Amino acid sequence: MTLLEISGLTLDLPGGERLLHGIDLSVNEGETVALVGESGSGKSLTAQSILGLLPARSVVTGTVLVDGHNVPTMSSKELLGLRRSTAAMVFQDPRAGINPMRTIGDHLTEALRLGEGWSAGRARERAIEMLAAVQMPRPEEHLRQYPHELSGGMLQRVMIAGALVGSPRLLVCDEPTTALDVTTQAQILQVLIEQRQARSMGMLFITHDLNLAASLCERVYVMRDGRVEEEGSARQIFRHPATAYTRRLVAATPTIEITGDEPRASTELVRQPVLQVRDLAKTYPGRGRESVRALANVTLEIAAGEALGIVGESGSGKSTLARMIVGLELPDFGKVIIDDQERHGRPRRRADRLDRARKVQMVFQDPYLSLDPRMTAGEAVEDALRLHHPELRRPDICSRALTLLDNVGLASTQAEALPRTLSGGQRQRVAIARALAIEPSLLVMDEATSALDVSVQAQVLEVISEIRRERGLTLLFISHDLAVVRTVCERSVVMREGEVVESATTADLLTNPQHEYTRLLIDSVPRAAAIA
Amino acid sequence: MTIRRVGGKLGSLVLTLVLASALVFFSRFLVPGDPVNFLLRGRKPSPEAKAAVVEQFGLDLPPWEQYFRWIGGMFHGDFGRSLQFRDAVTTVIGDRLPVTAGLVIMSAVIIVVVGVIAGTIAALYRGRFADRAILTVLTAFGAIPPFVGSIVLIAVFAVQLRWFPAFGSGDGFLDTIYHLTLPSIAMAIAFMVLIGKVTRMSMVEQLSREHVHVATSRGLGRLTVIRRHVFRNALGPIFTVGGMLIAGLLVATSIVESAFGIAGVGSLLVQSVNRLDFPVVQAIVLLVVTSFVVTNAIVDLLEPIIDPRAAAGEAGR
Repeated sequence: MTLLEISGLTLDLPGGERLLHGIDLSVNEGETVALVGESGSGKSLTAQSILGLLPARSVVTGTVLVDGHNVPTMSSKELLGLRRSTAAMVFQDPRAGINPMRTIGDHLTEALRLGEGWSAGRARERAIEMLAAVQMPRPEEHLRQYPHELSGGMLQRVMIAGALVGSPRLLVCDEPTTALDVTTQAQILQVLIEQRQARSMGMLFITHDLNLAASLCERVYVMRDGRVEEEGSARQIFRHPATAYTRRLVAATPTIEITGDEPRASTELVRQPVLQVRDLAKTYPGRGRESVRALANVTLEIAAGEALGIVGESGSGKSTLARMIVGLELPDFGKVIIDDQERHGRPRRRADRLDRARKVQMVFQDPYLSLDPRMTAGEAVEDALRLHHPELRRPDICSRALTLLDNVGLASTQAEALPRTLSGGQRQRVAIARALAIEPSLLVMDEATSALDVSVQAQVLEVISEIRRERGLTLLFISHDLAVVRTVCERSVVMREGEVVESATTADLLTNPQHEYTRLLIDSVPRAAAIA
Repeated sequence: MTIRRVGGKLGSLVLTLVLASALVFFSRFLVPGDPVNFLLRGRKPSPEAKAAVVEQFGLDLPPWEQYFRWIGGMFHGDFGRSLQFRDAVTTVIGDRLPVTAGLVIMSAVIIVVVGVIAGTIAALYRGRFADRAILTVLTAFGAIPPFVGSIVLIAVFAVQLRWFPAFGSGDGFLDTIYHLTLPSIAMAIAFMVLIGKVTRMSMVEQLSREHVHVATSRGLGRLTVIRRHVFRNALGPIFTVGGMLIAGLLVATSIVESAFGIAGVGSLLVQSVNRLDFPVVQAIVLLVVTSFVVTNAIVDLLEPIIDPRAAAGEAGR
């Protein structure tokens, strides 16, 4: 039976901007359907329309039938009923999605107590039952806890339990695992699959990750710019995409399957190491709590022209390591040697700082935060040039900046643009151009493509590999994403809880992992191949 | 941990008081005018009479010794003697404190109730007519100094409409409230904009939080969501600003009490400054500082009750 039937759904903002252009979509009872798209494709808006959660004063046409009732024409009382017992939603970020000032028990029971008029005791029993269903270890105890006492993965289970307390027939999941580590993601997906089967719910699963969609769902809708671009079985979408956009999306989606096009370790026998890290250790003292060991005896080396990947989940110490190499943080023990020169202490004098910066440059994760909002793209690059090449004249600086922007695929007209008028991918390219302006011996990229859409990520990665081919750039590439690391790095190390657990060529690591944690990481990555 | 926290608060309270008392005490030596002349009411005194007065009030000692005598006295509840009333400062202030406390509390209640309601409505109708109207009115009110507000209120509600008395503080509980209504409104008018704007800002911020969205998606009614997830979470900044209001209100009483002819601490302060009655001025200023520091300490200590994360942060993160 059809549980959700969206037809001809359009949505206009009060200003007249049209965000959805006639969406058609359906979900049957017991079926899992994926809605895939990049940012701005309208997938979240479509999801919100199912629960009547659209932005205030937006104009909707078309129908959204949930269990036979049309949501856009519902009275506010009918809407409350729909949200309480027919359809529920799991949101992306459980840390933001659960009120930090109220207990878990409150979060789980309030809809039952205040909406359905259940007694406190009955609601509590139901909450305990649901926490057990999502495999929380100590349900009764969790009811009294506050969100900050639980990990992100635990909180997402709480969020799912909260969505399930009203026994909904349709569960809408909006990127429910995007904010989580890959091993946690695997557990959460397991919980979702179990619950869907146990309750024969219909599930609409929204994600930007094609691999995830293909591994989880029977049917897939691909959205782009407020339209459904393509619809079909997961297998069909992946193997035989009908539209050019889907083909590009599939091609841009990195996988961990070895395809033979990955960068190979150089055959040159001895190459000069650019970076040597010896026994680096760092512990953050915890005031009143356990102290946190961020790094323990990390040793690694990068040869000139090589790209080394560092893979790890949150809390593995990979960002701390990057910050120490760049000199933003000091180790407790150990050495950082760059170009045969030991670096210790924070660079204090101007000359030291400039020298350090010339050796290592870093590209940060969030290009929205790492560029000065009042500086144009060109100025950002020129600024770095002027600082490190005081001998250059103004016109030379300008033309060098334009060349650098051209190298990362930005046109000269975009040099005049302020960061807010650029897209995320363009901003990240400006950040890369700025780092390259200094011609560093080593470029550190810390999750530099994680915030980008896959097609944009593919473009940025292409820029990087081009520059590496042309200039022999030495790269330290930090990522949580094994698939991205496979396409960029010849060699990789896997980190966990501040330690390097395995180090090998990337191909060996993926095909023949030695450490059980590496195996766990690889097994946790959702694979479209499973549907073949 | 909580004991340590309270202890730390008390420590900084004492330090603040010591600094404030020294500042207050020694500043009097910078003020022109000799209190002795006032004490003798402008008469041409004989040198003996003058010496006797100086001796009686300890005015011949070096400043630091006077300071320590003053501090030492405070520990046995002796704040010195008022030069103008020839009575203990504690008695002089103690007689006038209840009416001033009543005035401050009444106007604080008006400020908080009106400010929070207006700010909440403004936040819920952000960008619409109600929001703009509330902001405009509050801002205009905020520009009215208490003495102007007092005069207007007296002219309209006491003289024209004869609804409220224009003068005095009344006897008995209800009569006092009746007498203090106009003065407390006169004080409240200028301060409502602060609480109103903070409430609006804090509510607007909380309204955009994702957990509010989640609560709505769970089928909770709008009022329930606002009460449990928006208002509750918005309380922190409102408390903080509310705590800082107290000192401003105490100082404002000096104007309003004078305008309404109320014999309270505020009018006493004005009178004592005019007559160079330093012991009284010092005691009142110290009272204002103390109440400010104490209210803020209470607000700080309340924070972990409002926000469990603050309690965790204090355990050490």
